[in-house]
Amino acid sequence: MPHRARQLTLSRRRLLHGGLLGLGLLGAAPGLLFSPTALASDAWQRLDAAQQVIGDATPESSGLSLDLPHVSEDGSAVALTVGVEASLDEGDYVERIYLFASGNPNPEIAVFHLTPLAGKPEVSTRVRLNETQEVVAVARSAEGKVWATAREVRITVSGCLMRGDDVPESLSNPRVSVPDSFSAGQPGEIRTLITHPMETGLREGDDGETLPRHIIERFTVSVDGDTAFEAELHQSVSANPYLRFHLAPQASAEAAFEWHDDTGDSARETRELNVS
Amino acid sequence: MPLKPRQGVSRRQVLKGLGAASSLPLIGGLAPAFASGSDGRVVVIGGGFGGATAAKYLKRANPNLSVTLVEPAQTFYTCPFSNLFLGGLREMSKIAHGYDELRDRYGVEVIHTLAEDIDPDGHSVSLANGDTLHYDKLVLSPGIDIRWNALEGYDEAAAELVPHAWKAGPQTELLKRQIEGMDDGGTFVLVAPENPFRCPPGPYERASMVAHYLSQHKPSSKVLILDAKDNFSKQGLFTSGWQQLYGDSIEWVGLSGDGRVTRVDAENREVETEFGTVHRADVLNVVPPQKAGWIAERAGVTDDSGWVPVKPETFESQRVADIFVVGDATVAAPMPKSGFCANAQAKVAAAAIVAALRGDSAPEPYWSNTCYSLIGPEYGISVAGVYRVMDGAIAEVEGSGGLSPSDASPEIRQMEAEYAVGWYNAICQDTWGTEA
Repeated sequence: MPHRARQLTLSRRRLLHGGLLGLGLLGAAPGLLFSPTALASDAWQRLDAAQQVIGDATPESSGLSLDLPHVSEDGSAVALTVGVEASLDEGDYVERIYLFASGNPNPEIAVFHLTPLAGKPEVSTRVRLNETQEVVAVARSAEGKVWATAREVRITVSGCLMRGDDVPESLSNPRVSVPDSFSAGQPGEIRTLITHPMETGLREGDDGETLPRHIIERFTVSVDGDTAFEAELHQSVSANPYLRFHLAPQASAEAAFEWHDDTGDSARETRELNVS
Repeated sequence: MPLKPRQGVSRRQVLKGLGAASSLPLIGGLAPAFASGSDGRVVVIGGGFGGATAAKYLKRANPNLSVTLVEPAQTFYTCPFSNLFLGGLREMSKIAHGYDELRDRYGVEVIHTLAEDIDPDGHSVSLANGDTLHYDKLVLSPGIDIRWNALEGYDEAAAELVPHAWKAGPQTELLKRQIEGMDDGGTFVLVAPENPFRCPPGPYERASMVAHYLSQHKPSSKVLILDAKDNFSKQGLFTSGWQQLYGDSIEWVGLSGDGRVTRVDAENREVETEFGTVHRADVLNVVPPQKAGWIAERAGVTDDSGWVPVKPETFESQRVADIFVVGDATVAAPMPKSGFCANAQAKVAAAAIVAALRGDSAPEPYWSNTCYSLIGPEYGISVAGVYRVMDGAIAEVEGSGGLSPSDASPEIRQMEAEYAVGWYNAICQDTWGTEA
C-alpha cells in the first residue's frame, strides 16, 4: 500500500525533525484509511482497549455523542467534544467517559470520572491523532448502563500549515474560567488550560535520542473538598491540555483545580463558585 | 486568431465528438456566434480564480461547448495581494479583473447576476434576473461565506464596524480607511480563526503588511494577533521576519496563550478571549469562521462541516451528480484554500467535464500550489507543494515543493518578493487574461 508507506515516511521525518505530532510509528493502526463512515460505528468492537472497559455489557450507540471534524489539517490538536445525551433513571449519573484513538501507538486518550457535582456529562478537549483513524468513546453510568460510539477522522497536513516547535515550560500559566454565577444544582461551564509539553516518550529530539515521556497524568477538581471531576490523561492529549466540563454546585463553594504530572510536580488554582 | 496552438486539439476533439461534416465550419472560429453549444451546456457559477479558470479552460479544450459564467460583479477583486493594498504597496485597481477576455476571446457567455437556486434533478439554475439556465454539467466556484454569529457578536452589522476584509472589495477599503484613520500609538488587533479557512498564511501576511504601513506612518503603533490555533502556516519564517523588520511591534498570542477569541463587541472594538481577557483595539480586524459559499448549500453539495466533499479525480461533488465544485469551498486538504489551488482544481474539473461530455474517462490529475507571502516590500517567503491522488485521496507528492529556507540572505528574500509579483501577474493572466 504505497499511500500508507508514504504517510509513515512523512510521519517519521516529522518525528525526527521534532514536530509536535510525534506520537511515533510503533503499533500502527488497523488499515482504515478511507473506509466508509459506516465502518466507524462499531470500531469499539475491534479495539481491545475499548472492549476491556465495556466488559460483558452490550453498549448502546445512541445517546452518546462524539463531535470531531471529519478532516483535520493539524493532527497535533484536534478539538473533540464527547457527551452523554441519553436520559438516565432517577438517581443514576454518568460515572466514566473513556476516549480512545484506535490508530495511535497507545490507544488510550483519557478517562473522565464524573460525579453528580459535575452536573452535565459533556467534556471537550484537544487530542493528538497520528494518522487517519477512528476515535472511540465509551461511557458508563453509575448503575452500569454502557454506551459506545466512534467517528472517523482524516488527518492531513496542509502544505501551507508548517508548525513551530516551541517547548513550553511545564505546568506554567494555569488558566481557569468559571461562570460569574450558578443557579443551585444547575450545570455551569468550566474551562481550564495549562502550559505543558505533554511529551509522548515516543519522539526523538534533534540529537536522535528519544525524548523522555513527560505528561500531565491527572487533573482533579474538588468543590469544598469533595471530588467533582477527575481526568486521567495519556500521551494522546495535546500539548497544553485544555479541558471544558461542567460543575453544578448546590451552594456557593470554593473549587480547587489541580494538575499532576509524571515527575511529581503539580499546579493548583482555586475559584469561588457563586450560587445565586 | 486566438488559440492558434490549440487548433489541432480542437479539431481532433470536434471530429471525435460530432459528425465531421457539421463541425468543420466551426474550426478556427471561436467567436460567440459560432459557439453553438452542440457538444454540451456547462454553467459556471462564480467568477473568481476557480470559476473564471474553469470557463476559460472548458472553452480552450472544446470551443464547441456552450459555457455560461454567472457572476454578479463586473469587476472581481482578488484576495491575493489585497493585503498589499492595506500595506500601501498597491492600488485597488491593480487587484481588479474583468471578464472581457472570457467573453470576447473565448466565447464564454458572461451573465452579471446572482445565481439564486439550483435544481440538481432538473439540471437547472435559477438566476436573480428571472432567467433559468439548463446545464449538462455545472461548475460551482462559490468561494467562502462568513459563518455569522459563529463567533459571538460577529454578525453582518458588526462587520460594517469591524471589517473582516476576507473577501476583497468594499471590506478591504473600509479596513484601509480605519488603519489610515488610526492615531499613532494605537493597536491594530487581528483575530485569526481555527482551521480550515481561506488562505492559511493570509492573516499573518496581513499583520505584516499592516505593520509595514504603520512603521512608515504611525511608528509607535502595535499589531496584536489573537489566534485560535497554536500553529500557523510558515510560522517560523513569519516570526523571524517580523523580528527582523518590525522588532517587537507584532505580538502573536496563540491558543495555548489564551489567544482564542470567543466574543466580539464591535461597538467598543473589544474582544474577549476564552479565559476572559478583554483586549481593546483601535482598529479591529476579525477573520471569522467560514464555510462554503451559500449556493453550495442550495445545491446540496455541502456536508455537516459546511464545506464540500468532492471526488478527488475530477472535483465532482460526492453528493450530487454533474455538479463540480472547485476552490475554497471544497474539502481538498492537504491542498490549502488558495487562489492557486482553485485555478489548478478548475483545470482538472474542466478536463474531466470535457472528457465526460465526449464519453471519455477523465485524465489522471495532479496539482501544484505555491503560497507567497510578503512580510515587507522586499521580503518574500513561500511554501510550495505538488499533489496527486493516492489511494482515493489527495496527497502531497513526497519530496515535492518545500519552504523558503529559514536562513536565507536578504537577496533571496528580495527575489521571493519579486517572484510573488511575477506569480500574481501570471495567474491573473491565466485566469482572466488581464494585466494587473
